[in-house]
Amino acid sequence: MTGITLQYIPYNTDVAFLGIKQQVIGMLHYRIAFFTHVYTALFVLPAGFIQFSPYVLSHFKKLHRLSGWIYTVFVLLLVAPSGFVMGIYANGGLSSQISFCVLALLWFYATLMAIISITKKDILSHRKWMIRSFALTLSAISLRAWKYILVYLFHPAPMDNYRMVAWLSWVVNLLIAEIIIFKFIHHAKINNRLVVTHSDRRL
Amino acid sequence: MQKSIIALLLLILIGACNETEKKTDNIQTETTVAKTETAKPAHVYYASYVGGFEAEKMDPAQNGTYSNLINITISTLEDGKATGRSIIAGNDRPFNGTYKQSGALFEVNAAEPGDDKHDGHFEFTLDTSKLILTGKWYSNDKTIAVPVRKFELNKKTFVYNADNNFDESIEGAALYTGSESDEGSHEAVTKKVIEINASKQKLSSKDVENLYKGDLELIRNAIYARHGYSFRNRKMRYIFDGLVDWYVPMNVDVRNDLTALEKENIDLLKRYENHAEKYYDEFSR
Repeated sequence: MTGITLQYIPYNTDVAFLGIKQQVIGMLHYRIAFFTHVYTALFVLPAGFIQFSPYVLSHFKKLHRLSGWIYTVFVLLLVAPSGFVMGIYANGGLSSQISFCVLALLWFYATLMAIISITKKDILSHRKWMIRSFALTLSAISLRAWKYILVYLFHPAPMDNYRMVAWLSWVVNLLIAEIIIFKFIHHAKINNRLVVTHSDRRL
Repeated sequence: MQKSIIALLLLILIGACNETEKKTDNIQTETTVAKTETAKPAHVYYASYVGGFEAEKMDPAQNGTYSNLINITISTLEDGKATGRSIIAGNDRPFNGTYKQSGALFEVNAAEPGDDKHDGHFEFTLDTSKLILTGKWYSNDKTIAVPVRKFELNKKTFVYNADNNFDESIEGAALYTGSESDEGSHEAVTKKVIEINASKQKLSSKDVENLYKGDLELIRNAIYARHGYSFRNRKMRYIFDGLVDWYVPMNVDVRNDLTALEKENIDLLKRYENHAEKYYDEFSR
């Protein structure tokens, strides 16, 4: 992923992905969205790995909080909104435009819910929403992996391929996230003391 | 007095005008005469002859091409002297020599200048009644992959026609460069290349974004082929030499012949080709 970002350093509007975005690169808001997206997306990926480390959580709670705030601020203010703007002009027509815009909205929503729930000290909800949020963050990687796999297996025409991976990239991730939530968090709900305190509070 | 001077001046002026008009008329007729003189060949057999330039002797150890399309253009056959040029695989070489005439047959023996490593000499017979040119070519350098080639060529006149395009027979044609490193990346041509003519329609991203790299390449190179470009690129030679009947290699540089529309389309196609080349089967967007 770092390699993908590095292609755009120094600032250049005619390399890599932008080579086939010349019809929209003339628009200032697209340029702002695009460069915001590629330069900042790199920060949210490692943040996620820190967030899901139980070791960091138990031993360096401050690091977990700091990195969590960075993740949240970047996603909510920079990466998701810029992703939405780019989604409007996505290659591949309406289907992929809808896909990327919905992805940006869901990502924003999941991240927002994660931060709201933790400020309310609702750790269970926080965990669920963070799993969803990070699953959507990882679509950056899965999109490229799907693309590679589909080309290897079926050799589809480039834009047909792009339309497929636009959806596969995050829908599959989200399904996996829901399975994880159901399997682990749901079980935890039954066994975990945490949940007992919750139900206690409700009582 | 004043009036008559003015009248006189006017007369001179009108006279001068008439004279210049006549002069330009003369020049115009002169140039048209000159043009028709140079454009009209003295003989019907002062023409281009096109066909396969086939290996007769081939070094199996080297990666030579068995057959390329050659264009031998005869400029003059006069007073025992033969001049012309041959255009093949992006190489445009003049030749000079002598001939012996017996009836409709001209037996020509001509050499290329000798300052190019692919130069050699021709021995061919031009049948001016059938307009067929047959013969052999011998390389100066005997160590090259194909030191002797034979050919039987037919008269074919190059004309730029924007309507020229691929026909159905191109579908499924293999795109390969002939080099061993390219094995495994074979791509077949799809019928999209028949639907798009980049010399006639203005292409947009929508038209080209879903095309395979091989198709993009053919659509772009068809522009050059229409202008009679002789391809150095082996992959393109396999396609145009063998599978495109209207193709006549005539020039080794067609950059100044391209229309504005063609130039725009070339830029767009090249953009998508580069993108496909770099990113189609890579872990990237």
